[in-house]
Amino acid sequence: MSEKPETKTVASEPESRPSRRGLFSSVGAGAVAAAIVNPGKIFAATTPAIPSIRIAKDITDSLAEATKLGSFDAKGGMTGAEVFAKSCKDEDLAALFCCPGNYQIINAISAAGIPAFGGRSEGSMTSAADGFSRCTGEVTACSGTEGPGFTNMIMNIAVAHRARTPLLVLASNVTIATDDREYFIQTGYQQPTTEGLKKYGKRLIAPDRIHEYTAYAFRHLKTGVPGPVHLDFPGEIYNHRFMAESEVKEYYSKEKYRTESRPHPAPKDLAQAVDMINRAERPVIVAGHGVFFRKAWEPLMVAAEKNDVAVVTSGPMRGHFPDEHRLSASLSPDAFMSADLVVFVGQYSMPSKTERWRFHPDAKAIRVNPTGEDLGRNWPLDLGIVADEGAFLEGLASDLPRKKRDAWVGELAAARQKYEKQLLDEYEQGVKHSQATNTVHHAVVCKEVHDFLYKGSIDPKQTVTGWGGWTIGNCGARWLRAYRPGQEVNCPYQYSAVGPDLAMMIGAGAAVQLGVGPQAPYKGAPVLVITSDAGIAYSMFELDTAAKYKIPIICVVYNNNAWGMWPSAVGTPRSMHMYLFQENLRYDKMAEGLGARGEYVHTQDDFRKALKTSYEVASKEHVSTLINVQALKDFTSQKDYPPGNIINPEPGVGALAH
Amino acid sequence: MRIFLAICSVVSAALADAPAKLTRDDAQKLRNPVAYTRKSIDRGRVMFLQNCTSCHGEDGKAEGSLIADATDLTSPKLYKSGSSEGEIFHSIRDGAGDQMPAFKSQIDHETDIWNLVNFIRSLWPESMRPAIVVEDK
Repeated sequence: MSEKPETKTVASEPESRPSRRGLFSSVGAGAVAAAIVNPGKIFAATTPAIPSIRIAKDITDSLAEATKLGSFDAKGGMTGAEVFAKSCKDEDLAALFCCPGNYQIINAISAAGIPAFGGRSEGSMTSAADGFSRCTGEVTACSGTEGPGFTNMIMNIAVAHRARTPLLVLASNVTIATDDREYFIQTGYQQPTTEGLKKYGKRLIAPDRIHEYTAYAFRHLKTGVPGPVHLDFPGEIYNHRFMAESEVKEYYSKEKYRTESRPHPAPKDLAQAVDMINRAERPVIVAGHGVFFRKAWEPLMVAAEKNDVAVVTSGPMRGHFPDEHRLSASLSPDAFMSADLVVFVGQYSMPSKTERWRFHPDAKAIRVNPTGEDLGRNWPLDLGIVADEGAFLEGLASDLPRKKRDAWVGELAAARQKYEKQLLDEYEQGVKHSQATNTVHHAVVCKEVHDFLYKGSIDPKQTVTGWGGWTIGNCGARWLRAYRPGQEVNCPYQYSAVGPDLAMMIGAGAAVQLGVGPQAPYKGAPVLVITSDAGIAYSMFELDTAAKYKIPIICVVYNNNAWGMWPSAVGTPRSMHMYLFQENLRYDKMAEGLGARGEYVHTQDDFRKALKTSYEVASKEHVSTLINVQALKDFTSQKDYPPGNIINPEPGVGALAH
Repeated sequence: MRIFLAICSVVSAALADAPAKLTRDDAQKLRNPVAYTRKSIDRGRVMFLQNCTSCHGEDGKAEGSLIADATDLTSPKLYKSGSSEGEIFHSIRDGAGDQMPAFKSQIDHETDIWNLVNFIRSLWPESMRPAIVVEDK
């Protein structure tokens, strides 16, 4: 924050943007750091004659339009797109994130009243939908045009696949009539492209079966272990006109094409699980994402408290068991080795004993999964149970006897104390490194965020956070906390894609803005993401999307001038240039150019002030801020700046994969 | 398992920790206070699986190269930071080069780092491995 933002767009506010004049006058001015490259003429908005960034009236008018569901009684009947959109509405599809293309489908979905968001790249919009789902548990959709728009989504579909996100992937795909003819542009075989990245997929080829395949899609999205479902629509499907309901095959309501019935644990299995838990001295439940998707956090709490069972959360979201609870093991990694029984519930991506899990290989294991085919995979089981996570946990809550395990609880507390001391030791080292270099070390960034969100005046449960990046991500994940369901999004979970973090958290921000599911009590609150300079390049333009929809996000960019993997070039010096960026790039200025605020900081004090200001503006004016935190690449290495980068094995805080 | 953990704790308490700060020369002089026994190797394997496989792979050959240009632990001649037992200990505890982080905050007792040293040496070619010490029963 050593430089006063000077973009005139700030001072000459249009009618449709919140005022930031007062804000910047409070920010204050300072000297420009000598080493900072002057972006100069790139940001020509300093010229008063150039119009300000603003939200077009067409946008606000469009958002205020009344919803309109298609009807067979309408003059032209219903198009295939309208039939599909109506089914999505009936299924409570939570939101759509898209880029233009697949026009009839996205237009019909938006017209139907499903919250719809248009962004800057299909991949980022896919991750925004993913992020929305990760903090709500709801089915969301993403869409892109055929060909390049669709292939732009691939990395992000893969991210959702590894996280088992119930993501409805939609794309147009030319016409059936031109299949295999290399006709014109954007032709491509979509379903083979998503092979291995989806739970179910279908190219629709018969117009009158559109509802039948919508039913297929939602059966897969809402039953069993979730995962992406990919539908591609040729023109003959979405443009087909139906003049009567009878023209659509199998046009049943959702109650007739899928069931809400869930598998309950067999009584003997539940009895055996209760017996094993009760006999164990140090039992721990690994509450995976299935617990969140099934919204089973209440029976989880009852079961844990009744029998003093430790709980550690695992998966692409955290918070379905609160970190501060005396039975939470999420911050007690050293206690895992003495656990003698591990109960995996809804752990969809199973580790193995030969991977980076902290439990002792001799510990007994129970696994609960809504389907049977995965039980016994990777981790040998003493008991496998096919059951809905909620039904199982309700059974435990009912049947477990009351029991106190003071020794185990004490061990958890001691391990937590040790872990928190480790964090503070790392922070102290980081403070020294920061002061010695006039930059901000990653441990300092993360501790400041932690203290601001959880130790200050903000309700610690309020802010949904997410994280990505390598050095900063590994560190941020150790400091972020989750005190209620859906409070933390583990953006890189089990795929470690660089870059979807900001987009994912804009999706999460949309969920908070709408107050969906567990976000309802915090409707409208800002969200925060910690990411890297490498990662921000992939989704930074979505700050425009955040601004357009007034989704307030604070984006902390750890700017260390390098890919996190730069140490891989140390042994081959001629390669190093491939791992580095220009130094002192100004992501804050780029953010200003996209209609967000920008803050530049290179000291701990300035970072603290920037966080406070950014949060206030986000809360009161729904304006996003990118805080560019200048760091050094060398902080990743323990050689000169111990402790360097620390990788966190699963499960618990900080873990991104097994 | 509880008994095993208890034994580990006792052994840990009985062994003095290595100096907090080590140079490479200091490390070369360190000797492993934990005997190269089957039990120590097994315990070291548990530590290895929990902390090391993402870079060095399950078999120590570092063939995956997912997140680092890691050293093939089965070829001690390739070790960049030394292959004496003290140097291996030093690399694990305090980190090595620019990529390998220090594990002193993640592995509870130095005894377990020494167990890990023993496991890593068990990955070496047979002709280079120490002889297994048979424990009294």
